Amino acid sequence: MREIMQELEKLAKARVPELQRAKKSGKPVIEYTGNFIPEEMIRAAGAETYLMCRGGEPEPTDAVLDYMLRFMNPLARSMAGFMELGLDPVTPIVDLLVTQQTDNHVGRISELLEFKKVNLCKVGVPADWEKEIAFEYYVESLQKMVAMVEKITGKPVDMELAAKNMKVSNQINEGLRKLNSLRTKENPPIGLTEMIRLHHLSFIVDPSVMVQKLEELYEKLKDAEGKFEAKAPRILFVGHALAIGDYTVPRLVESSGGCIVAEMLDEGVRAIEKDVETDGDLLRNFAKNRYRDKTPINIFQPAWKQRFDHIKELIKEYQVDGVIWYQLSFDEIYDMEYSCLARWMEEMNMPILKMESSYEYSREAMGPLTTRIESYVESLKEGK
Amino acid sequence: MADREINRRMLELAGFEKDELEAILPDWLMTVERVGLTDEDVRVAVEEYIPKNWDIKYLGVRKMIGAYLREMIDIAKTKEMKENGTKLLYGILPAVATTYSAYKKAGGDDIFVSFPDLMLVTILNGFFHQAAPYLYEAEEQGFTYGCRHCPLNKMRVGALTKGLLAIPDVIWSWGFNCDEGPKTDEMIQCMLNEEWKYIVSRIPHDTYFGQPDDEESRITYLSKVLKEGMDEINDIIGITPSQDDLKAAIAEANRYTFKIGQMVSLVCKSDPVPLGGNTLTQFQQALCVPFNKGLTHIEEALDIMIKELKEAIKKGEGVLPKGAPKVGSYFVPFCIPWIDRLFRENGVATTFSQTLTPSKSQMTPSKYKDDPYMSIAEQWLKMPLGQNMGYEVASMVEKVKANKPDGMLMGFFDFDRWLGAHQKMCATLVENETGVPHYYMESDFWDDRDYSEEALRTRIESISQLLCIRKEME
Repeated sequence: MREIMQELEKLAKARVPELQRAKKSGKPVIEYTGNFIPEEMIRAAGAETYLMCRGGEPEPTDAVLDYMLRFMNPLARSMAGFMELGLDPVTPIVDLLVTQQTDNHVGRISELLEFKKVNLCKVGVPADWEKEIAFEYYVESLQKMVAMVEKITGKPVDMELAAKNMKVSNQINEGLRKLNSLRTKENPPIGLTEMIRLHHLSFIVDPSVMVQKLEELYEKLKDAEGKFEAKAPRILFVGHALAIGDYTVPRLVESSGGCIVAEMLDEGVRAIEKDVETDGDLLRNFAKNRYRDKTPINIFQPAWKQRFDHIKELIKEYQVDGVIWYQLSFDEIYDMEYSCLARWMEEMNMPILKMESSYEYSREAMGPLTTRIESYVESLKEGK
Repeated sequence: MADREINRRMLELAGFEKDELEAILPDWLMTVERVGLTDEDVRVAVEEYIPKNWDIKYLGVRKMIGAYLREMIDIAKTKEMKENGTKLLYGILPAVATTYSAYKKAGGDDIFVSFPDLMLVTILNGFFHQAAPYLYEAEEQGFTYGCRHCPLNKMRVGALTKGLLAIPDVIWSWGFNCDEGPKTDEMIQCMLNEEWKYIVSRIPHDTYFGQPDDEESRITYLSKVLKEGMDEINDIIGITPSQDDLKAAIAEANRYTFKIGQMVSLVCKSDPVPLGGNTLTQFQQALCVPFNKGLTHIEEALDIMIKELKEAIKKGEGVLPKGAPKVGSYFVPFCIPWIDRLFRENGVATTFSQTLTPSKSQMTPSKYKDDPYMSIAEQWLKMPLGQNMGYEVASMVEKVKANKPDGMLMGFFDFDRWLGAHQKMCATLVENETGVPHYYMESDFWDDRDYSEEALRTRIESISQLLCIRKEME
């Protein structure tokens, strides 16, 4: 596994210089945020794409405080914070940044990016997702995005190529699903530490290469020994996002003897629940897949009961012993969902640990954090 | 049993007299008991808190307090109302009051309309400084203290679980600004009571910096969203506002807006300043919050207030001496009325609020007179609260230029990821455009548990000194 991961890391490392070269040669570079943006279509219009989802470092979150309220979640603050510190090599060179407008954190940080003169495209994603009118709004927003992209690339989206790109994305999803299936084993050969990195790499590395590497990885792991201690407590990891760079908590959980067998995250992971249909109107198919066919994201309304149902399915499928709720600090809507979930978990007699992160992983912060995680893992072991 | 004498004095302070006072006294005594106000709480309000923080020399101010107290009396009766078959329609801030007013016009006494959380925080903290027990209650229920949630949403939960508030037939949650407001209803439904029925209406914040939010395509979308919401409400409560009800509500709102504009202009253009920002904003609130009693009492108070202001201006009377610096605000925190007083004690008068002072565009007659849904959607999209920062800043610049403050005060929305998030950038942009200095104070508009008088005093003193020095140098 290590070799394949190293190969992928090497390819990922080459991505930024590749974008810089593309930009120099006159090829448009378009950055995007989140799962509601069809980057496959942007590529099919002739642009290079790059996912904006960095986090896990405290300095960028502080860097926006001259402009922004401090009670914004650190992932949103990082969107502008890395650039503010001169640590973002991509955003300053992009021709367009396509942002999904799902909540107020992203909404206002997008305005900060506009204030900083970044060329933005805003895709409206109404939270009242069960309404037909709201779905049409999202579709129309995507159509406007396509028009903006085409204006920048000077080419229409090649729909045949877009469908091909989407098929490759579906293959990546299938590769990740197959790896997830190995996590149902009594002692899985792979945990969240590797899985989350694979999700992230899949946004960066050439998609066709990724498909191939995921297949190779599956073949290597399908009969491999487990990587955890025997009878390690099986943990479901739930939260808003694990950003690119935000690996501390899953690593600590797994190094403390916990085995993270499944996750439910709204950002920083691919939407692998169901594939996008590639026949017919691709844009509408994509919109339907993201807006209606997958478990609703936390901000959608209603959402929490459906999300709880999905959590129960994951608990059953992956034989989960305990849940970790990973919350970004000041993420108020997730905080409210946690209150509901904690009550429901108590009714199910399922242990749940709430962890909040401001991306502050200093030496002083790591001690108490490790102790909390170790205690929780120990208590799950005893419960087993 | 609550003490009749101190509560009679409370009602007198709030502009009630003679037969009207005697008639309302039993209801008020019931209200203080249910809300949990002790005789001592009322005494402190009558003898200290209100006289210190509100300009009660004006009958208009006292009548305005009275109009709010009437709303709290109705809220305290919601359980009986429900038992007797009155339909309860709640809503949340921010919104425009028009649709709710239309329901009131259609349903009369068969319907109760209110934003009860907003009313309770406004009244309990603004006049009694006693909202905290409800906020602590909500924190016990899962609205965690540390995450900086909105006190209004906490109040909705706290008032329900403390048994003050009845479960409505339906609550219409406008999520045109706010994520947390509508999600609070989902939280209540999931965690506290499945019978809590809500309708959510949303529109994403996806306009670009400076793009008009009130473009026709957006108005059209929002009008459909509003109509869908109203159709659902009609089915649930069996009351359907007619086109005439809607048009009457719009006309009433326009009339009230005009009077508010007149009052703001009178105050801001006078030297000395005859009235504080608390009162101005408390009157303005009726633009975006429905009163179950309709505008009858609050508008009567406003009419008296305008008349009294004209007289005060004629006599040269003010809350501070002539020449005192004036400060405008993003939103004067009237629920924490001592902030206005602290400025005044330091020689600075608070005046208009950016958010609720009507812009020229808001005062312009609607383009869609024959289509009430379009007209109401337009009314909302012209409200600065929900607009993108660039468009909002344009109206802020217009109001600063019109009202000529010596400084502007930003902040007080640290719990609000929409209204509070961008204010530092707004300050820079408006200051660059107008030359009027802007000051930012991190604080909470509704709840002063985290920001006490002593904690903010130094900051207010510093800002006031700067403003006074600048004024002297001029």
